[in-house]
Amino acid sequence: MRRPALLDDPKRELWLAWYATIAFYTLYTVVFFIITRTQPPGKAWYTPTQVVGWFASRHEGLLIGFGLIFILGGLSATSISLITYSIRRMSVSRVFAYSYLIIYAVSAVPGFLFICVAMTVGAFRPGRDPEILRWIYDLGFLSFSGTMGVFLIGSLIWMVAILLDKNRVFPAWFGYLNLCNALTEVVVAPSWIFHTGVFAWNGVIAWWINVVVFGLYTGAFIFLLRNMILREDFGTGPLPDLLPPEGRGRMLAEFMSP
Amino acid sequence: MKRTGGERIIFWALPAVAVIWIVAFFLFPGFLPPMSPEWSAQRVAAFYADHTSRIRYSMILFNWFCVALIPILMLIVERMRGMAHRTPILRYCVIGVAGAAPIAFLTATIFWLLAAFRPHRAPALTQLYNDLGWITFTCGVPFLVALCLFLTVAIYLDGQARPVFAQWVGHFNFMIAIALMPAGFAGLTLSGPFAWNGFLSFWVKNLAIAVWLVVMAVVLGQSIGRDRLAEQISA
Repeated sequence: MRRPALLDDPKRELWLAWYATIAFYTLYTVVFFIITRTQPPGKAWYTPTQVVGWFASRHEGLLIGFGLIFILGGLSATSISLITYSIRRMSVSRVFAYSYLIIYAVSAVPGFLFICVAMTVGAFRPGRDPEILRWIYDLGFLSFSGTMGVFLIGSLIWMVAILLDKNRVFPAWFGYLNLCNALTEVVVAPSWIFHTGVFAWNGVIAWWINVVVFGLYTGAFIFLLRNMILREDFGTGPLPDLLPPEGRGRMLAEFMSP
Repeated sequence: MKRTGGERIIFWALPAVAVIWIVAFFLFPGFLPPMSPEWSAQRVAAFYADHTSRIRYSMILFNWFCVALIPILMLIVERMRGMAHRTPILRYCVIGVAGAAPIAFLTATIFWLLAAFRPHRAPALTQLYNDLGWITFTCGVPFLVALCLFLTVAIYLDGQARPVFAQWVGHFNFMIAIALMPAGFAGLTLSGPFAWNGFLSFWVKNLAIAVWLVVMAVVLGQSIGRDRLAEQISA
């Protein structure tokens, strides 16, 4: 049986949020890595003169790229909502779901709005005193890397929910992957102290290892959220196993028949 | 007291809050006409030195009351429970942006207040705070854009015979989202329609927010009224 059109699908809201999540992370990757080239980050040890050069070499990129985030960055709420929904589907208290929602929702301002504002302010008036420009540069990178508590506490909340859950919404290994993600926020703390070396905000630990863990973690949860949507039966008990495609169609047909 | 009783108190607080927002808007000397990003650091510093009191009072008002948007948005979230949705996803989306939207503006008031706190510091530093305030205020629209887009989708998917909000409210939210978007690019230029004092980034954006508040207040009031009637009938 063919899947019905998205708008008649009882899972339409879940799918819309999931595709919006894909769109947001794609936009995010393109803006940070390609358009603005703020990832990998500028060096923490740059002198004011080098910071001037850093801004000059990506003037348009910063303004256009962060302009896109200013317009569409709020779509980050879609992945937060889906994850909140996933926790609500678990056999755990709603406290976990609401904690996750509020932690991620509020952290958007220091976590990504600040870097967008700082880099825009830095780029749009190039003639500024180099010392002041470096102050802006520090604000941008440190607010971005240094907004740590969100991922630390948020990931731990999600981890505990997954490990307590009897509804098998997420596999236990992903619960432990949350711990890895939380640990990246522990090892990034020294970037508030060091200007050079592996712990600096552009260093091997504070950036390279963390970005790999974050990438794997994000890829894993996007994949697992898709599985959750496919398995969703709108009940309150354990989520059914993932059926092969033809079985999914049958389950949906049974669900939709009165 | 019925559930809608408390909601009506919050709803009727909106006109009072709106008056304060309008007063604060006119009180801030940098809005009418909006300060130009082309001003030199000396001129910006002189502006803060000359208008210190009005800047402080207007921004303290905004700092106090911009967050009053959150309970209004929660009234909308409560109405969304009545929509023909299968999941609470879109409500979570709205809650997810409801906090950050006014907090972004609150952050802008902090930068403006900092600039006015010591107006005689080095002009380049006053200009820096002023730039941070204006860029946060002007470009800080992602949560409002997302709010309007989430409401658009929520209203379109509410396919009941008597939907919570009519279809045109969905079209309206989509148009407001579009109207807010050019402001995101205010950093690209110091003059013209996209500049922070320009036609698109200042006038269109802020008028769109004002019109959104008025229209959503009207449809929200009608919706709360229907819920209240239903409560009275069932009582």
